Amino acid sequence: MALFGRRNVLLVLLAVALVLPAVANSYQLYIGNLVLIYTLLAIGMNLLLGFAGQLAFANAAMFGIGAYGTGLLQVHFGLPFAIAFPAGALIAAAVGLAISFPALRLSGLYLALSTLAFAQFTQWIFLHWEGVTFGAGGFKTPQISFDPLPVSKPVGLYYLSLLVAVALYIFARNLVASRVGRAFVAVRDGEVAAQSLGVDLLRTKALAFGISGFYAGVAGGLYSQALNYVSPEGYDLFQIVLHKAMIVVGGMGSVAGSLLGAGIIIIVLELLRAVKGAQEIVFGGILLVFVLFLRGGLISVIQRYVKGWDEPLHAAPPRRDEPPPLAVPATPVAERAAP
Amino acid sequence: MLDIRNLKVSYGLTQVLRDVSFSVPEGKIVALLGGNGSGKTTMLNTLTGLVKPGGGSILFQGQECAGIDASDFVKRGVVQVPQGREVWASMSVDDNLELGAATRHDRAGIKTDLAEIYELFPKLKVHRRRNAGSLSGGEQQMVAIGRALMARPKCLLMDEPSAGLAPSIVADMVDTILALNKRGLTILLVEQNIGVAAAVAEYAHILQSGEIAFSAPAPGLVDNPAVLSSYLGR
Repeated sequence: MALFGRRNVLLVLLAVALVLPAVANSYQLYIGNLVLIYTLLAIGMNLLLGFAGQLAFANAAMFGIGAYGTGLLQVHFGLPFAIAFPAGALIAAAVGLAISFPALRLSGLYLALSTLAFAQFTQWIFLHWEGVTFGAGGFKTPQISFDPLPVSKPVGLYYLSLLVAVALYIFARNLVASRVGRAFVAVRDGEVAAQSLGVDLLRTKALAFGISGFYAGVAGGLYSQALNYVSPEGYDLFQIVLHKAMIVVGGMGSVAGSLLGAGIIIIVLELLRAVKGAQEIVFGGILLVFVLFLRGGLISVIQRYVKGWDEPLHAAPPRRDEPPPLAVPATPVAERAAP
Repeated sequence: MLDIRNLKVSYGLTQVLRDVSFSVPEGKIVALLGGNGSGKTTMLNTLTGLVKPGGGSILFQGQECAGIDASDFVKRGVVQVPQGREVWASMSVDDNLELGAATRHDRAGIKTDLAEIYELFPKLKVHRRRNAGSLSGGEQQMVAIGRALMARPKCLLMDEPSAGLAPSIVADMVDTILALNKRGLTILLVEQNIGVAAAVAEYAHILQSGEIAFSAPAPGLVDNPAVLSSYLGR
């Protein structure tokens, strides 16, 4: 394996992540935690959009459902975080599964619009079901501690995020290399061919939505504790833009690209926080550059120039000079040479 | 092997297939010819469960298959090579072929079949790690055929395998179809290219506006000006 091969780079990143709490101040640790949380969101979005090709906008809603689920189970039912957190993620996964049923009948813009409507509906619930969600003001999440482990809450939470992110990263890698992952890509690349060879469309899409929802839900649970606070605007349409931007920058159809995109977007946005207005301009600029010139995302550049970066199932950016395969003009029967 | 009786299919109010009956005997190649919009692709999609028939029956090896799911057709041994190849472009040739066996769970058998397909198409073996979308049209057609073979079909339904290919590649395709048939595969070939059909098929049916308008031994078709002009509009 080459020196800068994928495994080596990821191991170095993991080592850096492991020692971060020892060298970083609390703000930097918070940013590190955010990167891990958004990596989960980006992987979830990438599985659904980059691999399975489902243009869905419900990820922010699942993120919110994970956060609200985790927080409210603690507030209303007094459940400990250790139970509320996985329960919140499972609720998000269940909702993801549920919205995959109408999604089986829809595709493209119609799927995008209906899932967008669902995301807005979730926002409405967060805002107006005040008895349960505490409305526009949101609510503070209960304090958690990592006793008997000898760590403070931020450090404990950071390591929890790291553990979850590493586990779910490895799970996603194995998933996309498995038959299920191949079925995701087959559904994206050619739904009819997939169906005609016996790939179960319902099951494949439902899995993609459910797994993607689970990732977003897990991220939501961690995020609620990272902020210590849950309110509707944390899970609005801007989040969708953010998640999509991460996989566009990192690379659609690449698990490593999700990590890369999440890291870059979060760090760039944080660096620009001090300059008023700069965030939006730079964010828009980055998106434009990638959409116009770097359709495969950063991972496609790395894949081309770094030896040993062997990224299976990576979505090739569509080449504009290439006509679609069916656009070949049909020659009349009489002109075709009879073999 | 495949008996189609009084098959009717409609999309909403439009009847696409009206009362079509024909059969594909075991071990033979039968061609289904027809111009654009005659119902050829609908016929294949109905015979593989992608479209549900409004009436009639599809008997495969004596068993009624009308209305069963696409994956059940594959499991029983009826597999389609779709029109326009439809390879999974961003997946490697290897992955395309392996997912062709989506309905199978015998790992060892899948491995042997994969090796056999690379023997049949040595060109594919060279490109096995490349994305299928980066291959030439002829090579993509090989991927599409190989992928269907991975499902271990007894009856292969091919939708215009010669469409959009250069004449020399079409000749290779004819050889491939004959070779597959020699290995015992029953084939229903849907074509617009009478030359290809005449070169491989024993019998041909001409589909026109959703009905079988003419049936004849395939080899004589190229010399039959009446058939060419009245049924295919040439």
